[in-house]
Amino acid sequence: MTYQEKQNVVNIFSALVVTPIFAWLVFQRHQQGQFDLTEDFRQWGIVFLIFIGVSVAARVIIQIIFHIGNAIATREEKTPVEDERDKLVKLKATRNSYYAFTSGFVVSVIGLALGMPVYWIFIAFVVFGMIAEIIDNGSQIYYYRKGV
Amino acid sequence: MTTVRKFITTGKEFEMAKSIVQNNIRKLRFEAGEMTQQELADKARVSRQTIVAIEKGNYSPSLELAFRLSHIFDTPLEEVFSYDPKDDVPGKV
Repeated sequence: MTYQEKQNVVNIFSALVVTPIFAWLVFQRHQQGQFDLTEDFRQWGIVFLIFIGVSVAARVIIQIIFHIGNAIATREEKTPVEDERDKLVKLKATRNSYYAFTSGFVVSVIGLALGMPVYWIFIAFVVFGMIAEIIDNGSQIYYYRKGV
Repeated sequence: MTTVRKFITTGKEFEMAKSIVQNNIRKLRFEAGEMTQQELADKARVSRQTIVAIEKGNYSPSLELAFRLSHIFDTPLEEVFSYDPKDDVPGKV
């Protein structure tokens, strides 16, 4: 497995760990009545802003651990340079994740039109955001293996 | 001719390959004092994986990288890369 493939596997792992753990913690506090996510949409804004900060910090820590672990395992200290092929792979993967997130947005809007509660759209953002990220990294692994 | 063909990497040799552009990079590396993929990658300012992908026919390089490779081998571009219209059938890429 190449460095890029390993990095994408780590990113998928991060997405599968960070988002559900944060969502579970928020849900616990919601149930305890610390904040109301069904009526007060200002709270969603605060939750999303906290999530961005927590997500970035968690991923930075996971990436540092990955780099150290990879350097020890492979004895390669240098990370590969990003070249034109890497950029093309990322571009195509970003396109796929965009399709995934847009589909999620459309699904949530349809749900809204069918009478779903408004807070469901925020939950859909979180869920489809995570799915889009997994598709992004999964697509990169696919393109690195199959070719672009 | 047989010797040359032995080194030519065509898209058909690899299950996942899809490039319609064939290349002689493996042969040229061999002729350039058995240059390693890493050495070529460093000279071309790309990753070794990109050289591997080009050799396998999994990736068609940009025009800029193609010229850079031909300059490294001090060979005309058409001796590094070749294109056969017969392979360029609809739906292949």
